[in-house]
Amino acid sequence: MRPFGTIVELTLRALVGRRRTVLIALLAWLPVLLGILVRVGGGRPDAPPILDALVIRTVCPLVALVVGTGVIGSEIEDGTLVFQLVKPVSRSVTAVAKALVAAVLTAILIVPPVVVTGLLLGGFGPDAIQTSVGFAIATLVGGTAYAIGFTALGVVTSRALIVGLGYTLIWEGVLAGILEGTRFLSVRQATLGVASSLTGEDVGSDPLAVGVSVVILTVVIVGGLVVTASALRRFQLRTAD
Amino acid sequence: MTPVVPAMQVDHVSRWYGNVVAVNDVSFALGAGITGLLGPNGAGKSTLLHLLAGLLAPSAGEVRIGGRTPFGDPRVYSMVGLVPEREAVPGYLTGRQFVRSNAELQSVADVVAATETAIATVDMADAADRPIRTYSKGMRQRMKLAAALVHDPRILLLDEPFNGMDPRQRLHMMELLRRMAADGRAILFSSHILEEVERLAEAVLVVYAGRLAASGDFRSIRRLMTDRPHRFTIRSSDDRRLGAALLADPAVFGVELLDGRLAVEASDLGTFARIVAPVARTAGISLHELRPTDDTLESVFSYLVRR
Repeated sequence: MRPFGTIVELTLRALVGRRRTVLIALLAWLPVLLGILVRVGGGRPDAPPILDALVIRTVCPLVALVVGTGVIGSEIEDGTLVFQLVKPVSRSVTAVAKALVAAVLTAILIVPPVVVTGLLLGGFGPDAIQTSVGFAIATLVGGTAYAIGFTALGVVTSRALIVGLGYTLIWEGVLAGILEGTRFLSVRQATLGVASSLTGEDVGSDPLAVGVSVVILTVVIVGGLVVTASALRRFQLRTAD
Repeated sequence: MTPVVPAMQVDHVSRWYGNVVAVNDVSFALGAGITGLLGPNGAGKSTLLHLLAGLLAPSAGEVRIGGRTPFGDPRVYSMVGLVPEREAVPGYLTGRQFVRSNAELQSVADVVAATETAIATVDMADAADRPIRTYSKGMRQRMKLAAALVHDPRILLLDEPFNGMDPRQRLHMMELLRRMAADGRAILFSSHILEEVERLAEAVLVVYAGRLAASGDFRSIRRLMTDRPHRFTIRSSDDRRLGAALLADPAVFGVELLDGRLAVEASDLGTFARIVAPVARTAGISLHELRPTDDTLESVFSYLVRR
């Protein structure tokens, strides 16, 4: 248990100490701010469109991107990873410990604001609570998939932030609206699929069936872990001397 | 009787990055004791150490450390300690936390005792509770060494360990490494400074431009370095006559009159130093200046490679 716990602790401390993480934690509460503004203004629009647009489309992937690329990618960049790698610890253990940190921290950052925003906008009626909880569970699952996928991306490329932004903004944001087929390669669509089945709301346009969504998210999570572990096993220093 | 496994073995190893060859067909085997890896910056020293540490895969050839192939086998790290040069230590940890986390990752039996012993060994107990970011470069080097020693490895790889150390720290570190070698450890350290290697290493590997230029005990390599042809420029009261007089000595290969100076190529440093003054005196010429033109380490290395 000791090497695993130590890796979790070192990774978490490094992550929490980065300015990037602090900024993204603030961003995660943006929907809450919006909810407050709406309430102060006297309006009470439906919660689902806001949660859909702001949380699942924006906050969830961005938080997961910063956290996911932070657990390994940033440590490769600043050179601190080497001290963890030159130890008699299976690289799969290292991969799982770091992916776990990414997933849990992402959940801690995004799930509470989702619940608060949902309640703020929808109130405490049974339907509204179902909506809030449904979105919370969907972002938990979707955020986990994003975080682990981006963790893998951080080991594979030194430009993980750019590639991850490109995937989120261009692939999921633009192409998904134009090419129907890309829906099946989209964490966002799968997350919306889960959200719509849990809330009973028609989230997004033509959401994926919940079964398909779960399969997609599972593939991303398991695939991300496998890629991370195998890339760490074959890890080489990027700089020449 | 089982054959003795060398602590480190590099067999026809090359490593290239795209079109750039960082290490070119290098072979050596090392046992216990201190070996210096000497070469100018960019010669391939770090690449060799990273290959031995399993942080790079060889493009060709085979690397073994403690009898195992290090790349892709984390088990080697229970017998290897690495002090990298560039890799940053997490500055927000205190020295003690850093060494302790290394002990935990090594799964040593008594983490606290191993941590304290390693910190005491590098003489850093006083500063151990300060965050590493407040350390000087020399202190940081020592804490990195403590972290590498925490599991009592029998093989130590150190990349430019004396960089940024003041003379006192340097002496202390040298003493420490000598002690550890005397206990039967195999230690390989890199340096671009001849004097460091001369003072510490029993054996030397000289690398230049990715090739192993020479290897062996320090004295024989030192001799190779001083026995090579040397070039000098001389200013004197009569360059032309001095040139003719010098050329009469078999130690002088060639002379050339440049604008206002005399360039001399001599067989070796020692002989030429002995003859130049008597020759000038006999000819009644006064010497104004005698300057070796290629006494940089760089030219020494390139000579060793061409040899």
